[in-house]
Amino acid sequence: MAITDISHRKRFLAQGNVYLPHIVVIEKIIEETSGVRTFHINFKDDKLREEFTFESGQFGEYSVFGVGEAPFCISSSPTRRDHFEFAIQQVGKVTNALHRLGVGAEIGFRGPYGNGFPLDLLEGKNLVFVGGGIGLAPLRSLIWNVLDNRDKYQRIDIIYGARSPSDLCFRYDLDAWDKDKAVNMVITVDKGDESWSGRVGLVPHVLEQVAPAADNAVAIVCGPPIMIRFTFPVLVKLGFTPEQMLTTLEKRMKCGIGKCGRCNIGNLYVCRDGPVFTYAQINSFISSEY
Amino acid sequence: MDSKKVNKKDIGKLLSQWSKEFTVFVPSKENGVAMMAGWDGTDTSFLDWYRNTVIPPKEHFLPPMEEMFRFQKDKGSYQLEQPASDGQKQLIFAIRPCDANALAILDMTFKDAYEDPYYLSRRKNKLLVGLGCINPYDSCFCTSLGSSPSDVANVDLMLTDIGDEFLIEGITDAGKELIARTSGLEETTEADDARAKEVKEASYHKVTRRIDTGDIGSKLLSCFEDEDYWGKVAAKCISCGICTLLCPTCYCFDISDELVKQQGTRFRCWDSCAFPIYTKMPMENPREEKWRRVRQKVCHKYEFYPMNFGVIACTGCGRCIRLCPVNWDISQTLNSLPAKT
Amino acid sequence: MKDMEQKLRNEAKTLLEQGQVDYMVGFEPGSLKFTTTPLITRDKNDVERLVINPFMANNLANFLTELKGRIGIVAKGCDSRSIASLIQDNKVAREDVVILGIPCPGIIDLSKVEKLIGKDRDELEDIIREGDKVVITAGGKRSEFPVNEVLFDNCLGCELPTPQEYDILLGEPASPVIDRSASQASIEQLKGITPQQRWDFWKDEFSRCIRCYACRNVCPACFCQRCFVEETEPQWLMPVPRWQDNLMFQVIRNIHVAGRCTDCGECERVCPVNIPLRSLTKEMYDIVSELFHFKAGMDKDAAPLMTHYEQEEAEDCIR
Repeated sequence: MAITDISHRKRFLAQGNVYLPHIVVIEKIIEETSGVRTFHINFKDDKLREEFTFESGQFGEYSVFGVGEAPFCISSSPTRRDHFEFAIQQVGKVTNALHRLGVGAEIGFRGPYGNGFPLDLLEGKNLVFVGGGIGLAPLRSLIWNVLDNRDKYQRIDIIYGARSPSDLCFRYDLDAWDKDKAVNMVITVDKGDESWSGRVGLVPHVLEQVAPAADNAVAIVCGPPIMIRFTFPVLVKLGFTPEQMLTTLEKRMKCGIGKCGRCNIGNLYVCRDGPVFTYAQINSFISSEY
Repeated sequence: MDSKKVNKKDIGKLLSQWSKEFTVFVPSKENGVAMMAGWDGTDTSFLDWYRNTVIPPKEHFLPPMEEMFRFQKDKGSYQLEQPASDGQKQLIFAIRPCDANALAILDMTFKDAYEDPYYLSRRKNKLLVGLGCINPYDSCFCTSLGSSPSDVANVDLMLTDIGDEFLIEGITDAGKELIARTSGLEETTEADDARAKEVKEASYHKVTRRIDTGDIGSKLLSCFEDEDYWGKVAAKCISCGICTLLCPTCYCFDISDELVKQQGTRFRCWDSCAFPIYTKMPMENPREEKWRRVRQKVCHKYEFYPMNFGVIACTGCGRCIRLCPVNWDISQTLNSLPAKT
Repeated sequence: MKDMEQKLRNEAKTLLEQGQVDYMVGFEPGSLKFTTTPLITRDKNDVERLVINPFMANNLANFLTELKGRIGIVAKGCDSRSIASLIQDNKVAREDVVILGIPCPGIIDLSKVEKLIGKDRDELEDIIREGDKVVITAGGKRSEFPVNEVLFDNCLGCELPTPQEYDILLGEPASPVIDRSASQASIEQLKGITPQQRWDFWKDEFSRCIRCYACRNVCPACFCQRCFVEETEPQWLMPVPRWQDNLMFQVIRNIHVAGRCTDCGECERVCPVNIPLRSLTKEMYDIVSELFHFKAGMDKDAAPLMTHYEQEEAEDCIR
């Protein structure tokens, strides 16, 4: 596989330096679960606020100056541009620092980076979204993108699960999609609690039960690696070909632009040639290190 | 080939002349460690001992650490300040062909897609004066990678040692122009030119270490999943960073922030795929095991980089072999890859 | 040394053949002149490559904390102390190692040879140890030197040339070449200058450090799964190679290995930028010896220094 041509991607450079972040301000913080927060942010610079755009599936490098920088996908849709969003789980130095910030705090943003979901592949198709935990974040950008252009797409199934009811993220979205008659929303948890009256079951199992048709369909999967590993075989069983399955991969990243070397899978860089890949591409990866 | 020559005794005068226009870097030793450092204005004793540096000239383009930008915190607001561009013209004297070729390999990454302003501005302001090798190390293997001790592919000027004198060839326009405005150079005779040709041919054959690079990419592809093989290959590696940090074609870097009271800096510094935490994520590390990291290093240079840019990311300088604490030898590994299945 | 070599190969083969060990760890000829490289193998046919020569610089005990199973390991005196120290630390069980001890008369420091002759290692024809002399052939010319001019500094101060802890001893006990003043010269020199001069000296030296961590990785006493420099919360040191962070890394590393460092000298040998690390480690070694009358790895059954307290211990170190 030769290296991908990315010359067409939009760039928003600060002072001509790809490594220099723009200043963005936190406008709203939503506590999704006890360790997961969504941040609504906006550029401090008016012109950039107007011009900035991105594709669903792309990510940014967010800085807490003095602490560090980390990559997170943009979880809002490019069809809704009054602000943009990202969602994070508290797992390390930068995410801990972000969780300590309040509304009005300034952070850095570089991006958008990565390849985004191929909308042309999805148009006119039935879409099956399969998400787990915070893996819904990149999917959510695409889901709202699709719903905002509803007539371009056919049937929509969303299968989403979390470890427990308290781990369900983006409940406001889940409610909205549940109420949407043009969407089949299926919510599940690995393990219920006293208040839970909904489905219980691991996402791959629930997917098998729901059994969406593979004909003229594309599946977009995102969640913890173990969920993805068990979901792909189910989709294959349901008749999806490897070209009909998309996912977005995660790696430790620093530069986000394919230079620092660390996010590679074989000759491809997840930040530059991904993070969105089809299952067919994953199968042809030189390396099993993903 | 309208070349010139300069007597070795007059190198000091030559460097002095060039020092008026450039900051000149020459081979220097610091506690016995050879590296390219600013010329002190008089010392040319490096002509006696210089073979190649320990720290490759890449340190002047991609330094071990550099400030990417500074930030000032003012009640929760941040002001970012880019470092002032150096702008100064610099001349690296006596760079070896392997190290110059390495820079061309690094260029491919730093120019690709998003241009790296730090590396490229340093690259723009430098003139490379190459010096052909007449005494390669037993660890050198440039001739296996399509190069030679007298390769002029990526230098502006090339010097060839013809005895008491250096023959000087202008290679690029910048190099030819520099020669044109340099005084004190003599015309070469036919004997000089013949001698230079002789020296270049002889030095080619002095490189004794060889790797068979034929089909190396697909050989590596076919044994990629062979955990047993890579386990044996990696057994004695101690995962220090020496082979990668001191490799002229390695470029992996880390980015880290420091904030002291209200002022901070974002640094970029050398990193290595040999380090265990290089790929570590909060929940998993795809290269926890040492054999995966050793495999990554070999395959990145000899398989992945050629797939992306069409060139092997190695110039045969041999530093990795010379300086490895346990004498892990990439040429041995590459020459004994299991046969394709 | 040749009959020691043959005995080693025979013993190693037997150990592997009879399944007494899972791995054999020893020295084989390196790919460069006058170099050995570690041989780590499960294959009994590989034992023919094992050698014993004056260039066996590596401390093979380093591999014990990484290999699983029973290990047959070749050890010089200092290496056997490292093994004993690992046993003291409960990192290695005595019954899991079969120690093939080599009585060691000292290892030749190639950088000293290079300085004496004025040529690089690959330009020399031969280096041969003949008792208390070393004969170096370069450019057809033979030169003779007293061997203490070419041995490693730590070899000149060797406290245990012949392993005390072993399963098989491959030769007669060796008499070391002792030149304690030469061995301590660099440490004494630093003690003789003012603190400001010392500070400037180390600031200078550590400006060259590139944070390759070879000194840490080659050290048998550094076996932490996650080294303190790799922690991000809190960030003890910046990963940036500034002299301040570099110096602090080495100082803290020295404190962490105090009481477990056996002065094998590997840290200094492997440093690619010639930082005189032994001037720090040996001083710590001497401090530990003076204050606590303790030397690492001399007694595998002794409690490790930092987990042990004697009533009679010096207290003037507590200020």
